[in-house]
Amino acid sequence: MAILQSGRLFGLACLLLIMAAVAYYIRAAKGGKVPKVRRVAGIDAIDEAIGRAVEMGKVIFCSHGIANLRGATSGPQTLAGLSVLSYVSKKAIASNARVIVPVRQPEVWPIAADIVETEYKLAGRADEFDQDDIRFLSNNQFGFSSNYMGLMMREKPGANIMIGAYWAESLQLAETGNRVGAFQIAGTAQTSQIPFFLVTSDYCLIGEEIYSAGAYLTQDAPLMASLAGQDVGRIIAVVLGGLGTLAYTVGIETLLDLFGM
Amino acid sequence: MEIPLLITAFCALLQVIPYYLNIPVIDAASGTMREWMLLVVNMAVFVGVISLGQVHGKRIQRKGENWPFSVVLIAFMVFMAIVGFPLENIGLGFKNNQYLFMFNNILNPLGGTMYSILAFFITSAAYRAFRARNWEAAFVLISGTIVVMSNAPLFTSSMPFLITWKNWIFDVPNTATGRGVMIGAALGAIALAVRTLMGIERGYLRGGGEE
Repeated sequence: MAILQSGRLFGLACLLLIMAAVAYYIRAAKGGKVPKVRRVAGIDAIDEAIGRAVEMGKVIFCSHGIANLRGATSGPQTLAGLSVLSYVSKKAIASNARVIVPVRQPEVWPIAADIVETEYKLAGRADEFDQDDIRFLSNNQFGFSSNYMGLMMREKPGANIMIGAYWAESLQLAETGNRVGAFQIAGTAQTSQIPFFLVTSDYCLIGEEIYSAGAYLTQDAPLMASLAGQDVGRIIAVVLGGLGTLAYTVGIETLLDLFGM
Repeated sequence: MEIPLLITAFCALLQVIPYYLNIPVIDAASGTMREWMLLVVNMAVFVGVISLGQVHGKRIQRKGENWPFSVVLIAFMVFMAIVGFPLENIGLGFKNNQYLFMFNNILNPLGGTMYSILAFFITSAAYRAFRARNWEAAFVLISGTIVVMSNAPLFTSSMPFLITWKNWIFDVPNTATGRGVMIGAALGAIALAVRTLMGIERGYLRGGGEE
């Protein structure tokens, strides 16, 4: 019986190459060589959003999406949203601002609550943590959406940060945030929802920018270096895409057979 | 390395390895772990119920703002939990008449209503967004107008070329952009996964990056 799964060898090789590149850059960063990362306006604006909410004396809403952690494409987005929540709650606590975290998935609720509670403990203010601010709204998509919209209309947040996996409710949430005058930063890797966030929010993180948010915000050298490793993967994708297009155009199928190995 | 990070790395590898390698022992362990995960996830539903009970229970107790709505929520939650309980031998469960009535006549229409108000939100968002302030906005305005018009028989009956233009917009620039975003997002997810496996990404565990 073959050890390697049929048709997945090339994919494994690419994955190992990307992992090696990420590991290389992280190692180099620990030795002092930190690559330069371009500014991402949406991520830079998170501090501005928190500051605005603090000045106005309003709450901050920070949502990590409506997906769980198990989806192949949505799980990483939720993880990215939780990383942003970690940073937002840390900054909000330092500024004495209140953060409300709407949650759709009950399995993510304990993680979100633990993140915020830990930030309070790290700030030496564990007794100020209010578990009711991490609100499980509904497991139903539009039950969550209508509840979130109602919450925004009543609480009128100064900032609404939505980074994670969203679907049809994305426009409803972002439009409502717009109507209550919240400073909105939204980001998702769901390609069908990006246009909605682009037209309704003040800043939008597109696709992969949400995955780099956690690294970008902490300014941690190894994390920043991993973004350079990610770029190696992008270069591989572009080169293979170009080669594959040319090969297919001239009728050479050897390369396509290689991809299918 | 800390124990939570070791657990994360171990569980992640246990799911990734069977995708590429055919090792029966690891396959079996991976399958068992997925069953455990489903059990944990299903038990987590009670976490949501408890959270709702705490928040709305306190509001009812203190007669806070809009507390009657909290009474309605708790009442419906308890009612649905009881009639939907999987005890078919005493008439409860998914085939219970009251459960089906509530599901078909309240929950589904409410969900449909929420979905349909998207039409109004799209209209208000389009009114704000479709302004030809610069070249990019003008392209969005023109292509958006073509797509909307091509979906209305009123226009396509006299201008059938709109459908051809719409199909081109969807098949060429839209698909190309979508694929580019998807590739970028996939690479970002891989990098996030590698950082998580190596124990460097800790935002989901606790305060971002701090020891």
